[in-house]
Amino acid sequence: MCGIVGYWDKTQSKSAELGQTILNMLHALACRGPDSAGVALYGENRNGDLVLRISLGENGKPREQAEKVVAASAKLGEVKDSSQVSEYLRCVLDYAGDPRELEQRIEMSGDGVEVVSMGRNLEIVKQVGSPENLDRTYSVSKIAGTHGIGHTRMSTESAVDLSHSQPFWAHGCPDLAIVHNGHITNYHQMRRQYEQHGVHFYTENDSEIISIYLSERLAEGKTLDEALEQSIDELDGSFSYLASTRDAVGFARDRFAMKPLLYSETDDFVAVATEEIAIRAAFRGSFEVREAHAKEVSVWHK
Amino acid sequence: MAQVTCEGKTSREINSEIKRLLGDGETDIEVSATGGRHNLGVAILQEARISFKGSVGYYCAGMIDGPTIEINGSAGWGLAESMMSGKVIVNGNTGNGTGAALRGGTIVIHGDAAARAGVSMKGGLILITGDAGYMSGFMGQKGTIIVCGDTGEGFADSMYATVCYVAGKTDDLGNDTVIEDLTEEDTKSLTEALVQHLDGEYPDAGSFKKVVAGRKLWNFDKKDWKTWKEAL
Repeated sequence: MCGIVGYWDKTQSKSAELGQTILNMLHALACRGPDSAGVALYGENRNGDLVLRISLGENGKPREQAEKVVAASAKLGEVKDSSQVSEYLRCVLDYAGDPRELEQRIEMSGDGVEVVSMGRNLEIVKQVGSPENLDRTYSVSKIAGTHGIGHTRMSTESAVDLSHSQPFWAHGCPDLAIVHNGHITNYHQMRRQYEQHGVHFYTENDSEIISIYLSERLAEGKTLDEALEQSIDELDGSFSYLASTRDAVGFARDRFAMKPLLYSETDDFVAVATEEIAIRAAFRGSFEVREAHAKEVSVWHK
Repeated sequence: MAQVTCEGKTSREINSEIKRLLGDGETDIEVSATGGRHNLGVAILQEARISFKGSVGYYCAGMIDGPTIEINGSAGWGLAESMMSGKVIVNGNTGNGTGAALRGGTIVIHGDAAARAGVSMKGGLILITGDAGYMSGFMGQKGTIIVCGDTGEGFADSMYATVCYVAGKTDDLGNDTVIEDLTEEDTKSLTEALVQHLDGEYPDAGSFKKVVAGRKLWNFDKKDWKTWKEAL
């Protein structure tokens, strides 16, 4: 049992309310997932600069680690901005090279350093604890943007720590993020196949495979819609998940409609959530809510 | 009419307030600011009218015996689960498992029902003006489902004696189902239900198809396992 939410501003005008909207939805689902909370928000485009959110590990010396990461980044591109909050470093970088190489260099710069998100618009913030604490630490409610997804986690099969928390960024694929509620039962089989092809897994969380699967489809040249459609046949088990990129948010639901997922679409916005209580907590007024069908895929584009 | 607001209250507090009002002899209660809260209006065992102004979450009107509950909004999973008698009217869509294990009474949905509506129902009537979701009617033992719209994949799978009437598409029926002709008796009871529960427009009773169990899965004879294999 986890809670997932998604929000798409149909006007795509950068809204100051984005962070607060996602938090309001997440807060209503906090009881579905007390272990961790996280958001993936799509904010302003900084003239093509990359924004990196980097976890500094747990060696107790985050400042030292941050210095190492900034130094490593500076060798690859111009560091426009960097700021550290708790065990997180946020870094804005002018870099046009291979994202995988950047990620590798940064992660090699210090023990336990992990790139949590990378993108021209995407920023992921997540931590162990409630949505309320997430806001207290990282001021999520102040983040403006056009769309985003969020997650509250109740861990069933893997560790409770920052690394296993969601949303998951698809490593190597800037701006692609997912949140998932359910179990991917062919996870181990798929993981073995990916590992034989040299794919590195960062966690033991079955949800991570969705981000890897989707980034592989997108790399093949498929659209997000096509990737989500295909996943219904190739992922096994119970799942409702949301995927987001710079210019789209979409969801997919398993063939048995086993995990809840509801959505509302008005002239102004699209809201998707595990329970209607989250949609009603974030949006006033009269609008219809319906539960997604089994095997349903919907994507909203710019 | 008594008023209850959900603002700032837990489901338990709201339900206690409803029970207290009913205990004081109130028979007409309006509940506002529901906001999709779960477990509202459960286990009400007397005749009364309760109206929810807004959407409700999971398991609303579960295990009720007698009241008429109206929801002006949508309802989440397990609406009116195990209802014994009474009536639940939804002016909106409902989530998975609407009327699961229903024993009696009537559920009228002015909208669509999601997956597994009427799963394992043992009596009563579920009337859906819109579409019925994936595997609705699954393992239905008794009672009636009326769908004015279309049915989803695997409709009426592995039923016992639930009778379904569908006006729209029945493109993907579940295991061991058959479509039968409407008898005069069927048309009469169907018309009665439509007239009684729906104002104004509804499909002509004659346009419905009757979906019932093919009865091949009712008994298992190991000498005849082929029948099972074919039915599934």
